[in-house]
Amino acid sequence: MGLVGLATEKILSSFSVFLFLTILLLAVARRISTSVLLFGLQSAIIAAEVLATAFQEKLPEVYIVGALVFVIKVVAIPRAFFLLTKRLKTVRDVKASTTPTQSVFIVAAIIYLSYAAVHSYGRVVHVPDDPLAAAVSLILTGAFLMVSRKKALMQMLGLLVLENGIFLAALITTFGMPLVIEIGIFFDILMGLLLMGIFTFRISDTFEHLDVSKLRKLRG
Amino acid sequence: MRIALDILQVLLLILGAPLVRAIIARLKARLQRRRGASIWRPYAELFKLLRKEELVPPTSSAVFRLAPMVLFGATIGAAAFVPVVHASALLGSRGDFFLFVYLLALGRFFLSVGALDGGCAFGGMGASREALVSSLAEAPFLLGLVAIAIVASRVDIAGMVAWTLGQNIFNISAVHILAFTSLAMVILAETGRMPVDNPTTHLELTMIHEGMVLEYSGPSLALIEWASAIKLHIMVALLIALFFPWGMASNGSGWGIAVALLLYCTKTAVLVILLSVIESSVAKLRMYLVPDFLGVASALSALAVIFTMWVKR
Repeated sequence: MGLVGLATEKILSSFSVFLFLTILLLAVARRISTSVLLFGLQSAIIAAEVLATAFQEKLPEVYIVGALVFVIKVVAIPRAFFLLTKRLKTVRDVKASTTPTQSVFIVAAIIYLSYAAVHSYGRVVHVPDDPLAAAVSLILTGAFLMVSRKKALMQMLGLLVLENGIFLAALITTFGMPLVIEIGIFFDILMGLLLMGIFTFRISDTFEHLDVSKLRKLRG
Repeated sequence: MRIALDILQVLLLILGAPLVRAIIARLKARLQRRRGASIWRPYAELFKLLRKEELVPPTSSAVFRLAPMVLFGATIGAAAFVPVVHASALLGSRGDFFLFVYLLALGRFFLSVGALDGGCAFGGMGASREALVSSLAEAPFLLGLVAIAIVASRVDIAGMVAWTLGQNIFNISAVHILAFTSLAMVILAETGRMPVDNPTTHLELTMIHEGMVLEYSGPSLALIEWASAIKLHIMVALLIALFFPWGMASNGSGWGIAVALLLYCTKTAVLVILLSVIESSVAKLRMYLVPDFLGVASALSALAVIFTMWVKR
Protein backbone atom coordinates (compact mmCIF):
# COMPACT_ATOMS: atom_id res chain seq x y z
CA MET A 1 0.00 0.00 0.00
CA GLY A 2 2.72 2.41 1.00
CA LEU A 3 4.72 1.53 -2.07
CA VAL A 4 1.74 1.99 -4.38
CA GLY A 5 1.00 5.34 -2.75
CA LEU A 6 4.59 6.44 -3.24
CA ALA A 7 4.52 5.30 -6.85
CA THR A 8 1.32 7.24 -7.60
CA GLU A 9 2.78 10.32 -6.00
CA LYS A 10 5.92 10.02 -8.14
CA ILE A 11 3.88 9.36 -11.28
CA LEU A 12 1.83 12.49 -10.69
CA SER A 13 4.80 14.66 -9.83
CA SER A 14 7.47 13.62 -12.29
CA PHE A 15 5.93 11.73 -15.21
CA SER A 16 5.12 14.97 -16.99
CA VAL A 17 8.85 15.40 -17.57
CA PHE A 18 8.78 12.28 -19.69
CA LEU A 19 5.99 13.91 -21.68
CA PHE A 20 8.40 16.75 -22.46
CA LEU A 21 10.92 14.17 -23.58
CA THR A 22 8.39 12.55 -25.92
CA ILE A 23 7.44 15.82 -27.59
CA LEU A 24 11.10 16.80 -27.98
CA LEU A 25 11.71 13.43 -29.62
CA LEU A 26 8.60 13.87 -31.79
CA ALA A 27 10.20 17.05 -33.07
CA VAL A 28 13.27 15.14 -34.28
CA ALA A 29 11.58 11.93 -35.44
CA ARG A 30 12.23 11.39 -39.12
CA ARG A 31 10.04 8.40 -39.75
CA ILE A 32 6.31 8.07 -39.42
CA SER A 33 6.71 4.77 -37.56
CA THR A 34 8.96 6.40 -34.94
CA SER A 35 6.46 9.20 -34.46
CA VAL A 36 3.63 6.68 -34.00
CA LEU A 37 5.67 4.76 -31.42
CA LEU A 38 6.38 8.01 -29.58
CA PHE A 39 2.69 8.84 -29.62
CA GLY A 40 1.95 5.43 -28.12
CA LEU A 41 4.55 6.01 -25.42
CA GLN A 42 3.08 9.42 -24.68
CA SER A 43 -0.40 7.95 -24.36
CA ALA A 44 0.94 5.24 -22.07
CA ILE A 45 2.41 7.93 -19.79
CA ILE A 46 -0.93 9.73 -19.79
CA ALA A 47 -2.74 6.47 -19.03
CA ALA A 48 -0.41 5.98 -16.06
CA GLU A 49 -1.24 9.48 -14.86
CA VAL A 50 -4.96 8.77 -15.19
CA LEU A 51 -4.63 5.59 -13.14
CA ALA A 52 -2.54 7.42 -10.53
CA THR A 53 -5.21 10.13 -10.28
CA ALA A 54 -7.89 7.48 -9.91
CA PHE A 55 -5.94 5.84 -7.11
CA GLN A 56 -5.19 9.06 -5.31
CA GLU A 57 -8.65 10.59 -5.55
CA LYS A 58 -10.40 7.21 -5.12
CA LEU A 59 -12.60 7.70 -8.19
CA PRO A 60 -13.63 4.30 -9.56
CA GLU A 61 -14.92 5.58 -12.89
CA VAL A 62 -11.57 7.16 -13.66
CA TYR A 63 -10.08 3.66 -13.70
CA ILE A 64 -12.39 2.92 -16.62
CA VAL A 65 -11.19 6.06 -18.38
CA GLY A 66 -7.59 4.95 -17.81
CA ALA A 67 -8.33 1.55 -19.28
CA LEU A 68 -10.03 3.22 -22.26
CA VAL A 69 -7.00 5.48 -22.82
CA PHE A 70 -4.76 2.43 -22.77
CA VAL A 71 -6.88 0.35 -25.13
CA ILE A 72 -7.64 3.11 -27.61
CA LYS A 73 -4.59 5.34 -27.61
CA VAL A 74 -1.81 2.93 -26.73
CA VAL A 75 -3.01 -0.15 -28.60
CA ALA A 76 -5.69 0.61 -31.18
CA ILE A 77 -4.58 3.91 -32.71
CA PRO A 78 -0.89 3.02 -33.19
CA ARG A 79 -1.95 -0.30 -34.73
CA ALA A 80 -4.33 1.53 -37.05
CA PHE A 81 -1.49 3.85 -38.05
CA PHE A 82 0.85 0.96 -38.78
CA LEU A 83 -1.88 -0.67 -40.85
CA LEU A 84 -2.42 2.60 -42.73
CA THR A 85 1.28 3.11 -43.48
CA LYS A 86 1.50 -0.48 -44.66
CA ARG A 87 -1.53 -0.18 -46.92
CA LEU A 88 -0.60 3.21 -48.30
CA LYS A 89 2.92 2.01 -49.18
CA THR A 90 4.05 5.57 -48.73
CA VAL A 91 7.58 6.80 -48.14
CA ARG A 92 8.47 6.53 -44.46
CA ASP A 93 9.85 10.05 -44.15
CA VAL A 94 7.66 12.62 -42.39
CA LYS A 95 8.70 15.40 -44.81
CA ALA A 96 9.29 18.11 -42.28
CA SER A 97 9.48 21.68 -43.51
CA THR A 98 11.85 22.59 -40.67
CA THR A 99 15.15 20.88 -39.91
CA PRO A 100 15.20 18.72 -36.77
CA THR A 101 17.37 21.24 -34.91
CA GLN A 102 14.95 24.04 -35.70
CA SER A 103 12.03 21.86 -34.62
CA VAL A 104 13.72 20.99 -31.34
CA PHE A 105 14.39 24.59 -30.53
CA ILE A 106 10.84 25.56 -31.47
CA VAL A 107 9.47 22.84 -29.21
CA ALA A 108 11.83 23.92 -26.43
CA ALA A 109 10.52 27.46 -26.85
CA ILE A 110 6.96 26.09 -26.70
CA ILE A 111 7.75 24.31 -23.44
CA TYR A 112 9.26 27.47 -22.00
CA LEU A 113 6.26 29.52 -23.14
CA SER A 114 3.78 27.10 -21.64
CA TYR A 115 5.61 27.21 -18.32
CA ALA A 116 5.54 30.98 -18.38
CA ALA A 117 1.84 31.00 -19.30
CA VAL A 118 0.85 28.42 -16.72
CA HIS A 119 2.92 29.78 -13.87
CA SER A 120 0.55 32.46 -12.60
CA TYR A 121 -2.57 30.38 -13.35
CA GLY A 122 -1.34 27.34 -11.46
CA ARG A 123 -0.87 29.37 -8.30
CA VAL A 124 -4.49 30.56 -8.35
CA VAL A 125 -6.15 27.17 -8.85
CA HIS A 126 -3.60 25.14 -6.83
CA VAL A 127 -2.56 22.88 -9.64
CA PRO A 128 1.07 21.69 -9.92
CA ASP A 129 3.04 23.52 -12.60
CA ASP A 130 4.68 20.60 -14.35
CA PRO A 131 1.67 18.60 -15.60
CA LEU A 132 -0.29 21.71 -16.58
CA ALA A 133 2.65 23.06 -18.57
CA ALA A 134 3.01 19.62 -20.13
CA ALA A 135 -0.64 19.73 -21.19
CA VAL A 136 -0.31 23.19 -22.74
CA SER A 137 2.90 22.30 -24.53
CA LEU A 138 1.29 19.08 -25.85
CA ILE A 139 -1.50 21.19 -27.36
CA LEU A 140 0.93 23.65 -28.92
CA THR A 141 3.28 20.92 -30.15
CA GLY A 142 0.40 19.07 -31.75
CA ALA A 143 -0.51 22.23 -33.62
CA PHE A 144 3.12 22.76 -34.57
CA LEU A 145 3.40 19.20 -35.90
CA MET A 146 0.26 19.69 -37.99
CA VAL A 147 1.64 22.89 -39.51
CA SER A 148 5.20 21.79 -40.15
CA ARG A 149 4.84 18.23 -41.44
CA LYS A 150 3.73 17.78 -45.00
CA LYS A 151 2.55 14.17 -44.82
CA ALA A 152 -1.19 13.83 -44.30
CA LEU A 153 -0.58 11.01 -41.81
CA MET A 154 1.50 13.32 -39.64
CA GLN A 155 -1.34 15.81 -39.51
CA MET A 156 -3.56 13.12 -38.08
CA LEU A 157 -0.85 12.39 -35.56
CA GLY A 158 -0.49 16.06 -34.71
CA LEU A 159 -4.21 16.24 -34.04
CA LEU A 160 -3.98 13.23 -31.74
CA VAL A 161 -1.08 14.79 -29.82
CA LEU A 162 -3.15 17.95 -29.47
CA GLU A 163 -6.06 15.91 -28.17
CA ASN A 164 -3.76 14.22 -25.66
CA GLY A 165 -2.90 17.69 -24.39
CA ILE A 166 -6.52 18.71 -23.97
CA PHE A 167 -7.26 15.42 -22.21
CA LEU A 168 -4.33 15.92 -19.84
CA ALA A 169 -5.38 19.49 -19.05
CA ALA A 170 -8.90 18.29 -18.21
CA LEU A 171 -7.49 15.51 -16.07
CA ILE A 172 -5.26 17.82 -14.06
CA THR A 173 -7.61 20.70 -13.48
CA THR A 174 -10.83 18.75 -12.83
CA PHE A 175 -9.69 15.12 -12.25
CA GLY A 176 -11.14 14.18 -15.61
CA MET A 177 -14.49 14.82 -17.18
CA PRO A 178 -17.58 12.70 -16.44
CA LEU A 179 -17.39 9.23 -17.87
CA VAL A 180 -20.12 9.78 -20.45
CA ILE A 181 -18.40 12.80 -21.91
CA GLU A 182 -15.06 10.97 -21.89
CA ILE A 183 -16.57 8.06 -23.82
CA GLY A 184 -18.11 10.54 -26.24
CA ILE A 185 -14.71 12.13 -26.81
CA PHE A 186 -13.09 8.77 -27.46
CA PHE A 187 -15.83 7.94 -29.93
CA ASP A 188 -15.20 11.30 -31.57
CA ILE A 189 -11.50 10.56 -31.93
CA LEU A 190 -12.16 7.17 -33.43
CA MET A 191 -14.65 8.58 -35.93
CA GLY A 192 -12.25 11.40 -36.77
CA LEU A 193 -9.47 8.91 -37.28
CA LEU A 194 -11.69 6.79 -39.50
CA LEU A 195 -12.67 9.79 -41.62
CA MET A 196 -9.11 11.02 -41.88
CA GLY A 197 -7.97 7.53 -42.78
CA ILE A 198 -10.51 7.42 -45.61
CA PHE A 199 -9.40 10.86 -46.72
CA THR A 200 -5.74 9.91 -46.81
CA PHE A 201 -6.67 6.87 -48.88
CA ARG A 202 -8.55 9.10 -51.29
CA ILE A 203 -5.70 11.59 -51.44
CA SER A 204 -3.16 8.90 -52.17
CA ASP A 205 -5.49 7.24 -54.71
CA THR A 206 -6.14 10.44 -56.60
CA PHE A 207 -2.75 12.10 -56.42
CA GLU A 208 -0.48 9.11 -55.72
CA HIS A 209 1.26 10.92 -52.90
CA LEU A 210 0.39 12.24 -49.45
CA ASP A 211 2.15 15.57 -49.65
CA VAL A 212 -0.31 18.14 -48.39
CA SER A 213 1.72 21.10 -49.63
CA LYS A 214 0.97 20.06 -53.20
CA LEU A 215 -2.77 20.44 -52.61
CA ARG A 216 -2.25 24.18 -52.93
CA LYS A 217 -2.18 23.75 -56.67
CA LEU A 218 -5.91 23.03 -56.51
CA ARG A 219 -6.66 26.68 -55.84
CA GLY A 220 -8.54 28.27 -58.69
CA MET B 1 43.37 7.28 4.43
CA ARG B 2 41.24 9.61 2.32
CA ILE B 3 44.23 10.46 0.15
CA ALA B 4 44.92 6.75 -0.36
CA LEU B 5 41.29 6.25 -1.39
CA ASP B 6 41.48 9.20 -3.80
CA ILE B 7 44.59 7.80 -5.41
CA LEU B 8 42.93 4.39 -5.62
CA GLN B 9 40.01 5.98 -7.49
CA VAL B 10 42.30 7.54 -10.10
CA LEU B 11 44.21 4.28 -10.51
CA LEU B 12 40.92 2.42 -10.89
CA LEU B 13 39.80 4.85 -13.60
CA ILE B 14 43.11 4.60 -15.45
CA LEU B 15 43.86 0.91 -15.13
CA GLY B 16 40.28 -0.28 -15.50
CA ALA B 17 39.72 1.73 -18.66
CA PRO B 18 40.99 -0.83 -21.22
CA LEU B 19 38.86 -3.46 -19.49
CA VAL B 20 35.68 -1.37 -19.88
CA ARG B 21 36.41 -0.91 -23.54
CA ALA B 22 37.17 -4.59 -24.03
CA ILE B 23 33.96 -5.64 -22.31
CA ILE B 24 31.96 -3.39 -24.63
CA ALA B 25 33.73 -4.91 -27.64
CA ARG B 26 33.12 -8.41 -26.30
CA LEU B 27 29.42 -7.76 -25.64
CA LYS B 28 29.01 -6.27 -29.11
CA ALA B 29 30.65 -9.36 -30.58
CA ARG B 30 28.29 -11.57 -28.62
CA LEU B 31 25.27 -9.58 -29.81
CA GLN B 32 26.47 -10.15 -33.37
CA ARG B 33 26.85 -13.86 -32.61
CA ARG B 34 30.63 -13.77 -32.82
CA ARG B 35 32.87 -15.08 -30.07
CA GLY B 36 34.91 -11.91 -29.72
CA ALA B 37 38.42 -11.40 -28.44
CA SER B 38 39.51 -11.98 -24.85
CA ILE B 39 38.71 -9.11 -22.50
CA TRP B 40 42.40 -8.90 -21.54
CA ARG B 41 43.49 -8.26 -25.08
CA PRO B 42 43.68 -4.43 -24.85
CA TYR B 43 46.23 -4.77 -22.05
CA ALA B 44 48.34 -7.09 -24.20
CA GLU B 45 48.00 -4.67 -27.08
CA LEU B 46 49.06 -1.69 -24.98
CA PHE B 47 52.03 -3.68 -23.69
CA LYS B 48 53.01 -4.67 -27.21
CA LEU B 49 52.70 -1.12 -28.57
CA LEU B 50 54.70 0.34 -25.69
CA ARG B 51 57.66 -1.91 -26.55
CA LYS B 52 57.57 -1.18 -30.27
CA GLU B 53 59.65 1.27 -32.23
CA GLU B 54 57.98 4.59 -32.99
CA LEU B 55 57.81 5.69 -36.63
CA VAL B 56 57.38 9.40 -37.28
CA PRO B 57 56.46 10.92 -40.67
CA PRO B 58 59.45 12.85 -42.08
CA THR B 59 57.38 16.01 -42.62
CA SER B 60 56.12 16.27 -39.03
CA SER B 61 57.38 18.56 -36.28
CA ALA B 62 57.71 18.23 -32.51
CA VAL B 63 53.94 18.75 -32.08
CA PHE B 64 53.36 15.32 -33.55
CA ARG B 65 55.42 13.69 -30.81
CA LEU B 66 54.14 15.99 -28.09
CA ALA B 67 50.40 15.58 -28.79
CA PRO B 68 49.89 12.05 -27.38
CA MET B 69 51.65 12.96 -24.14
CA VAL B 70 49.57 16.10 -23.64
CA LEU B 71 46.42 14.12 -24.45
CA PHE B 72 47.32 11.41 -21.96
CA GLY B 73 48.30 13.90 -19.26
CA ALA B 74 45.16 15.99 -19.69
CA THR B 75 42.95 12.91 -19.57
CA ILE B 76 44.58 11.70 -16.36
CA GLY B 77 44.16 15.20 -14.95
CA ALA B 78 40.46 15.01 -15.75
CA ALA B 79 40.27 11.57 -14.15
CA ALA B 80 41.40 13.11 -10.87
CA PHE B 81 38.15 15.06 -10.69
CA VAL B 82 35.70 12.17 -10.84
CA PRO B 83 34.50 10.52 -7.63
CA VAL B 84 34.14 6.75 -7.86
CA VAL B 85 33.85 5.03 -4.50
CA HIS B 86 33.34 7.99 -2.19
CA ALA B 87 32.12 11.54 -2.68
CA SER B 88 35.45 13.24 -3.08
CA ALA B 89 38.25 13.15 -5.61
CA LEU B 90 41.99 13.68 -5.70
CA LEU B 91 41.67 17.19 -7.13
CA GLY B 92 38.05 17.42 -5.99
CA SER B 93 37.84 20.92 -4.57
CA ARG B 94 40.83 22.36 -6.41
CA GLY B 95 38.90 22.92 -9.60
CA ASP B 96 35.33 23.19 -10.82
CA PHE B 97 33.59 21.35 -13.62
CA PHE B 98 34.76 23.90 -16.18
CA LEU B 99 38.31 22.76 -15.60
CA PHE B 100 37.20 19.16 -16.03
CA VAL B 101 35.46 19.88 -19.35
CA TYR B 102 38.33 21.92 -20.71
CA LEU B 103 41.00 19.44 -19.67
CA LEU B 104 39.21 16.96 -21.91
CA ALA B 105 38.94 19.66 -24.59
CA LEU B 106 42.67 20.37 -24.30
CA GLY B 107 43.38 16.72 -24.99
CA ARG B 108 41.15 16.72 -28.05
CA PHE B 109 42.74 19.92 -29.31
CA PHE B 110 46.23 18.45 -29.13
CA LEU B 111 45.10 15.20 -30.70
CA SER B 112 43.64 17.04 -33.70
CA VAL B 113 46.67 19.32 -33.99
CA GLY B 114 48.91 16.27 -33.93
CA ALA B 115 46.76 14.63 -36.60
CA LEU B 116 47.09 17.73 -38.80
CA ASP B 117 50.84 17.75 -38.22
CA GLY B 118 51.14 14.14 -39.35
CA GLY B 119 50.44 15.32 -42.90
CA CYS B 120 48.12 12.47 -43.85
CA ALA B 121 44.99 13.54 -45.74
CA PHE B 122 42.75 11.30 -43.66
CA GLY B 123 44.25 12.69 -40.46
CA GLY B 124 43.34 16.21 -41.58
CA MET B 125 39.83 15.10 -42.45
CA GLY B 126 39.43 13.33 -39.12
CA ALA B 127 40.73 16.39 -37.30
CA SER B 128 38.29 18.72 -39.02
CA ARG B 129 35.39 16.40 -38.19
CA GLU B 130 36.58 16.06 -34.62
CA ALA B 131 36.65 19.85 -34.39
CA LEU B 132 33.05 19.99 -35.66
CA VAL B 133 31.79 17.33 -33.28
CA SER B 134 33.62 18.64 -30.23
CA SER B 135 32.64 22.26 -30.78
CA LEU B 136 29.00 21.17 -31.06
CA ALA B 137 29.23 18.83 -28.07
CA GLU B 138 30.84 21.41 -25.81
CA ALA B 139 27.71 23.51 -25.30
CA PRO B 140 25.38 20.69 -24.18
CA PHE B 141 28.14 19.15 -22.05
CA LEU B 142 28.72 22.41 -20.17
CA LEU B 143 25.04 23.34 -19.97
CA GLY B 144 24.09 19.92 -18.62
CA LEU B 145 26.69 20.24 -15.88
CA VAL B 146 25.67 23.86 -15.23
CA ALA B 147 22.08 22.75 -14.65
CA ILE B 148 23.15 20.24 -12.02
CA ALA B 149 25.54 22.76 -10.49
CA ILE B 150 22.69 25.26 -10.10
CA VAL B 151 20.41 22.69 -8.47
CA ALA B 152 23.17 21.49 -6.14
CA SER B 153 24.57 25.04 -5.71
CA ARG B 154 28.09 23.64 -5.91
CA VAL B 155 30.60 24.04 -8.73
CA ASP B 156 32.99 21.17 -8.06
CA ILE B 157 32.00 17.73 -9.28
CA ALA B 158 32.73 16.07 -5.93
CA GLY B 159 30.47 18.64 -4.24
CA MET B 160 27.62 17.96 -6.66
CA VAL B 161 27.99 14.24 -5.98
CA ALA B 162 27.97 14.83 -2.24
CA TRP B 163 24.79 16.90 -2.62
CA THR B 164 23.08 14.21 -4.72
CA LEU B 165 24.01 11.58 -2.14
CA GLY B 166 22.02 13.54 0.43
CA GLN B 167 18.87 13.41 -1.71
CA ASN B 168 16.21 10.75 -1.78
CA ILE B 169 16.45 8.56 -4.87
CA PHE B 170 12.76 9.22 -5.61
CA ASN B 171 13.18 12.98 -5.49
CA ILE B 172 15.02 13.24 -8.77
CA SER B 173 13.71 16.33 -10.53
CA ALA B 174 12.99 17.24 -14.12
CA VAL B 175 16.38 18.92 -14.28
CA HIS B 176 18.13 15.63 -13.61
CA ILE B 177 16.14 13.71 -16.19
CA LEU B 178 16.79 16.29 -18.91
CA ALA B 179 20.45 16.72 -17.98
CA PHE B 180 20.96 12.96 -17.89
CA THR B 181 19.48 12.53 -21.37
CA SER B 182 21.57 15.30 -22.84
CA LEU B 183 24.79 14.22 -21.13
CA ALA B 184 24.25 10.64 -22.30
CA MET B 185 23.96 11.91 -25.87
CA VAL B 186 27.03 14.09 -25.45
CA ILE B 187 29.02 11.18 -24.11
CA LEU B 188 28.21 9.11 -27.19
CA ALA B 189 29.60 11.96 -29.30
CA GLU B 190 32.55 12.84 -27.08
CA THR B 191 33.89 9.33 -26.82
CA GLY B 192 33.31 8.57 -30.48
CA ARG B 193 30.77 5.81 -29.96
CA MET B 194 28.30 4.47 -32.46
CA PRO B 195 25.68 6.93 -33.72
CA VAL B 196 28.38 9.57 -34.20
CA ASP B 197 31.58 7.66 -34.91
CA ASN B 198 32.23 3.98 -35.46
CA PRO B 199 35.13 2.84 -33.26
CA THR B 200 35.65 -0.35 -35.27
CA THR B 201 35.53 1.14 -38.74
CA HIS B 202 38.11 0.30 -41.38
CA LEU B 203 36.73 2.67 -44.00
CA GLU B 204 38.82 5.81 -43.99
CA LEU B 205 36.04 8.03 -45.35
CA THR B 206 33.84 7.54 -42.29
CA MET B 207 36.56 7.75 -39.66
CA ILE B 208 36.76 10.49 -37.06
CA HIS B 209 38.89 9.24 -34.19
CA GLU B 210 40.44 6.40 -36.14
CA GLY B 211 41.35 8.78 -38.95
CA MET B 212 43.29 10.99 -36.59
CA VAL B 213 45.46 8.19 -35.22
CA LEU B 214 46.32 6.64 -38.59
CA GLU B 215 49.85 8.10 -38.63
CA TYR B 216 50.71 7.17 -35.07
CA SER B 217 52.59 4.04 -34.08
CA GLY B 218 54.36 2.46 -31.14
CA PRO B 219 54.26 4.13 -27.71
CA SER B 220 52.44 7.21 -29.05
CA LEU B 221 49.62 5.07 -30.39
CA ALA B 222 49.50 3.22 -27.08
CA LEU B 223 49.14 6.51 -25.21
CA ILE B 224 46.36 7.71 -27.53
CA GLU B 225 44.41 4.47 -27.35
CA TRP B 226 44.79 4.30 -23.61
CA ALA B 227 43.74 7.94 -23.25
CA SER B 228 40.58 7.39 -25.30
CA ALA B 229 39.76 4.31 -23.23
CA ILE B 230 40.27 6.33 -20.04
CA LYS B 231 38.02 9.05 -21.42
CA LEU B 232 35.22 6.54 -22.01
CA HIS B 233 35.66 5.19 -18.49
CA ILE B 234 35.69 8.73 -17.00
CA MET B 235 32.47 9.57 -18.80
CA VAL B 236 30.74 6.41 -17.59
CA ALA B 237 31.98 7.11 -14.06
CA LEU B 238 30.80 10.73 -14.33
CA LEU B 239 27.27 9.63 -15.33
CA ILE B 240 27.18 7.22 -12.41
CA ALA B 241 28.57 9.76 -9.96
CA LEU B 242 26.22 12.57 -10.97
CA PHE B 243 23.00 10.63 -11.40
CA PHE B 244 23.26 7.33 -9.52
CA PRO B 245 25.78 7.88 -6.73
CA TRP B 246 23.79 6.06 -4.05
CA GLY B 247 25.87 3.41 -2.34
CA MET B 248 29.13 5.34 -2.28
CA ALA B 249 31.14 4.92 0.91
CA SER B 250 30.27 7.63 3.40
CA ASN B 251 33.11 6.88 5.85
CA GLY B 252 36.50 5.28 5.41
CA SER B 253 35.63 1.83 6.72
CA GLY B 254 36.90 -1.09 4.67
CA TRP B 255 33.48 -2.73 4.51
CA GLY B 256 31.81 0.41 3.10
CA ILE B 257 34.52 0.80 0.49
CA ALA B 258 34.18 -2.82 -0.60
CA VAL B 259 30.41 -2.41 -0.99
CA ALA B 260 30.90 0.87 -2.87
CA LEU B 261 33.39 -0.78 -5.23
CA LEU B 262 31.06 -3.68 -5.88
CA LEU B 263 28.14 -1.33 -6.51
CA TYR B 264 30.28 0.77 -8.84
CA CYS B 265 31.18 -2.32 -10.84
CA THR B 266 27.49 -3.30 -11.06
CA LYS B 267 26.41 0.16 -12.21
CA THR B 268 29.23 0.26 -14.75
CA ALA B 269 28.20 -3.16 -16.02
CA VAL B 270 24.60 -1.97 -16.50
CA LEU B 271 25.71 1.14 -18.39
CA VAL B 272 28.16 -0.88 -20.47
CA ILE B 273 25.46 -3.38 -21.42
CA LEU B 274 23.15 -0.50 -22.37
CA LEU B 275 25.90 1.10 -24.43
CA SER B 276 26.67 -2.08 -26.33
CA VAL B 277 22.98 -2.72 -27.02
CA ILE B 278 22.60 0.84 -28.33
CA GLU B 279 25.74 0.48 -30.41
CA SER B 280 24.58 -2.75 -32.00
CA SER B 281 21.06 -1.58 -32.74
CA VAL B 282 21.68 1.92 -34.13
CA ALA B 283 23.12 2.77 -37.52
CA LYS B 284 25.86 5.36 -37.75
CA LEU B 285 24.55 8.82 -38.53
CA ARG B 286 25.57 10.55 -41.70
CA MET B 287 28.11 13.27 -40.94
CA TYR B 288 25.58 15.98 -41.79
CA LEU B 289 23.10 14.58 -39.30
CA VAL B 290 25.53 14.79 -36.38
CA PRO B 291 24.79 18.51 -35.84
CA ASP B 292 21.08 17.59 -35.54
CA PHE B 293 21.88 14.91 -32.97
CA LEU B 294 23.91 17.35 -30.90
CA GLY B 295 21.35 20.09 -31.49
CA VAL B 296 18.81 17.92 -29.72
CA ALA B 297 21.29 17.44 -26.88
CA SER B 298 21.79 21.22 -26.72
CA ALA B 299 18.06 21.87 -26.58
CA LEU B 300 17.65 19.30 -23.79
CA SER B 301 20.44 20.77 -21.69
CA ALA B 302 19.25 24.33 -22.30
CA LEU B 303 15.82 23.20 -21.10
CA ALA B 304 17.46 21.61 -18.07
CA VAL B 305 19.06 24.95 -17.20
CA ILE B 306 15.74 26.76 -17.71
CA PHE B 307 13.98 24.20 -15.53
CA THR B 308 16.25 25.01 -12.61
CA MET B 309 14.15 28.17 -12.32
CA TRP B 310 11.12 26.10 -11.35
CA VAL B 311 12.84 23.66 -9.06
CA LYS B 312 12.46 24.92 -5.54
CA ARG B 313 14.73 23.24 -3.10
